Amino acid sequence: MQLRINGQSVEVNADPEMPILWMLRDVLNLTGTKFGCGIAACGACTVHLDGQPVRSCSVPVSAAEGKALTTIEALGRKDQPHPLQTAWIAEQVPQCGYCQSGMLMAASALLAANKNPSDADIDAAMTNLCRCGSYQRVRAAIHRAAAAMRAGAA
Amino acid sequence: MKRRTWILSALGATGALVVGWGLMPARSRMGSPATMLPRHGDVALNGWIKIAKDGSVVLAMPRSEMGQGVHTGLAMLVAEELDVPLASVRLEPATHDKIYGNVAMLVASLPFHPLESEGDHKPAKVQIGEWMVGKIARELGINATGGSSSLADAWEPVRLAAAAARASLLGAAAAHWQVPVAQLHMDAGRVHHASGRSAHFGELAADALRSPAPAVPKPRTDWKLIGTPAARSDVPSKVDGSAQFGIDVRLPGMLFATVRMCPMLGGTVAALDDKAARAMPGVRKVVALDAVAGSTAGFAVVAQTHWHARRAAQAVQVQWQQRAGGGLDSARIQQDLLNALQTEKGFTFYEKGDATAAEATAPQVLEATYTAPYLAHATMEPMNCTAQFKDGKLEVWAPTQVPGFARDVAARVAKLDAEQVTVHVTLLGGGFGRRLDVDFVAQAVRVAMACEGLPVQLLWSREEDTTHDFYRPLHVAQLRAVLDAQGQAHSLRIHSAGDAIAPRWTARNLPALSGPIDAPDKTTAEGLFDLPYGFTHQHMAHVATRAEVPVGFWRSVGHSHNAFFSESFVDELAHAAKADPLAYRQALLKDAPRYLAVLNLAAEKAAWGRPLPEGHARGIALHESFGSIVAQVLEVSLQGGRPRVHQVVCAIDCGTVINPALVAQQMESAVVFGLTAALHGRIDIQDGVVQQSNFHNYPLLTLAQTPVVHTWLVPSTHAPSGVGEPGVPPVAPALANALFVLTGKRLRALPLTL
Repeated sequence: MQLRINGQSVEVNADPEMPILWMLRDVLNLTGTKFGCGIAACGACTVHLDGQPVRSCSVPVSAAEGKALTTIEALGRKDQPHPLQTAWIAEQVPQCGYCQSGMLMAASALLAANKNPSDADIDAAMTNLCRCGSYQRVRAAIHRAAAAMRAGAA
Repeated sequence: MKRRTWILSALGATGALVVGWGLMPARSRMGSPATMLPRHGDVALNGWIKIAKDGSVVLAMPRSEMGQGVHTGLAMLVAEELDVPLASVRLEPATHDKIYGNVAMLVASLPFHPLESEGDHKPAKVQIGEWMVGKIARELGINATGGSSSLADAWEPVRLAAAAARASLLGAAAAHWQVPVAQLHMDAGRVHHASGRSAHFGELAADALRSPAPAVPKPRTDWKLIGTPAARSDVPSKVDGSAQFGIDVRLPGMLFATVRMCPMLGGTVAALDDKAARAMPGVRKVVALDAVAGSTAGFAVVAQTHWHARRAAQAVQVQWQQRAGGGLDSARIQQDLLNALQTEKGFTFYEKGDATAAEATAPQVLEATYTAPYLAHATMEPMNCTAQFKDGKLEVWAPTQVPGFARDVAARVAKLDAEQVTVHVTLLGGGFGRRLDVDFVAQAVRVAMACEGLPVQLLWSREEDTTHDFYRPLHVAQLRAVLDAQGQAHSLRIHSAGDAIAPRWTARNLPALSGPIDAPDKTTAEGLFDLPYGFTHQHMAHVATRAEVPVGFWRSVGHSHNAFFSESFVDELAHAAKADPLAYRQALLKDAPRYLAVLNLAAEKAAWGRPLPEGHARGIALHESFGSIVAQVLEVSLQGGRPRVHQVVCAIDCGTVINPALVAQQMESAVVFGLTAALHGRIDIQDGVVQQSNFHNYPLLTLAQTPVVHTWLVPSTHAPSGVGEPGVPPVAPALANALFVLTGKRLRALPLTL
């Protein structure tokens, strides 16, 4: 099966029923996307399909055909991080860090759709779970990144 | 058994262990250069510090990073002593040497009242007890990341080791340049002389090894880094997906496994038909799993991806067998514990005055019964471990809080010597005490031994993780106060019951140290026997039960439920005395100035007493745990009939603050963790089966439900004490106390349900 992953065309030998999560992790060794619950409840496995956030533990590989699949590995580059990654470092968001790939993918989808999210917008979009309780800093970092992106675009 | 008898017998029993050693101060944990892993070009100066060829500093890291920031915190101690930027301290996994054993954690298991064991003027029994247990801990050398003890434990030995490295580097430069040490200074990894000569650490290291010099850590007035909000070293790798957790280990030819364990805790496999499963694509084999290191028996399926293994595991036809003693039932266990309070006296952890006499002449008694359920840890990274047995050697990659136990259990399962086992500790996707157990390591090794030299990554589903935890034990308590005619309490009796954790954990992980009789376990009574309030008469006893549900250490352990019992009841006493809950506590803290300062700071910053919006209410709670005192003022309202917490103001005295940003993170973290438990947390067991299975029925607090958390630190020059756990205990009582103000209902069972 031919897939477009992180901007590259990739030939993937996987069962079309296999959830995208396991294809990424166990077939392609792209381990940045995490397994948390397997029932789309926690968001640790969030990736983008054509820019939309999806919980990859519950979406089959077949659903990625013909779409652009983006993972945390391609959110930014070392020399050009995504403003959210910069904000995440500035606000020192992660603790154990396990949920943060999913948090960042959910947050980047939010900012792509909404350049100036309110607290209520963040509440509604950020339903990912974090057992360490980094939520307060997640919120602050999203506001910080949104401001930086607006300033950058101006 | 009386408390004194127990202490004496414990000291007697341990006497044999300590014969033959002299005094072992922190200096004895310096270790020798050979203690560190050799690597070409590096020069180890002691068991903690190496200097690399390029002059960078390498710290042996025994503690596990699970979000608490310990890798950053310990590195800060070293960077401070050696005057290098924090970023230039590299971490290297520590070996299994006993110098890395956690002494502070074991010393903290002594059931001394904190008002007796803090400060410089400790009674003899405290001094002797701490000395004895310190010796035993030093001899055992258990490397554990737990009990909020990492900084407290590392404080002396790591600073001493870094100071010694500093002194010998300076000594080497002084000898080389024939100048007095007093004319030298260190900066950014170089030694400088006033003449302009300078050399980097790497150029001096070989000579430094030959110039050991006596050293003491810097005085606090010289600190530049300690006390600053330095950035965590692990954050960059946690924002681009490159951080390596246990499940991210990838090895050539690696197979993937998942488990199904008997859904009935402690049950077994009666019959198993894996024919269909083995015929499924990608499946390699099915491996039987016996009950080991506290686990429940079951089987593992090994396949080419985790998904293939998961699918095939569901296709295995299995007949489960209930445990011999019958199915466990949490409702029945709770009733048994309540009954035990009526029939058993338990072990007396604390006695002051004469509560019995006070009760005999009581004009008024206030009595209440409190309960707390079993809880699961729910780390975001489910239990997992990777293992490979090849050429007679076993290699294990594990997100664990106890690498030595992981090695021991791996060796036991594989029937190897511990020396044939290498354990690599990965980052932990949360720990909270769950990873102080190594059942999943034992399972991975069992599977790897059946896989002909190939590496296998064993990963549990969320459902197995939730239903096969070592749960925070269910506890109940009865609290009774005697009130005078004005409603003022002068006598407090607390009688509680529940399973002890430490003896079960010891039996699973240190079988050689486990005896037929359980010693009293401080974790059952912490948060009840150690209150700061000056009631004239106090009595606290605990009935240790054996309900046979697997129990383990859950962030803040006994304090997690006992603070709810004690701080809610103190609030009840305040209302009975028609007193303001803050003023009531203040009046009882005349002999506990540290507690009073923390309480006052939280109250002041939360503007206690200032009117709130209509429909809002405040609650307050104060609690000491792991050597630190935390007060919280919480503001709540009801939305759709359910509690909505708006703000929590935290004040903490955790001794010397290494990194205030890490302390604030842990307070925010603790509030979310504590509210999750207070509002949602319960594990129910019926016929041996845990009823909750995943986040839909064991929910966590979400971002939208998270209050604003403000943290305030009490300045202190005491040695550092715990930070990772102490923020959790006051959350539930602060919320219950606020809900009482709001609704008039006193909630005495967790989770809080209006």
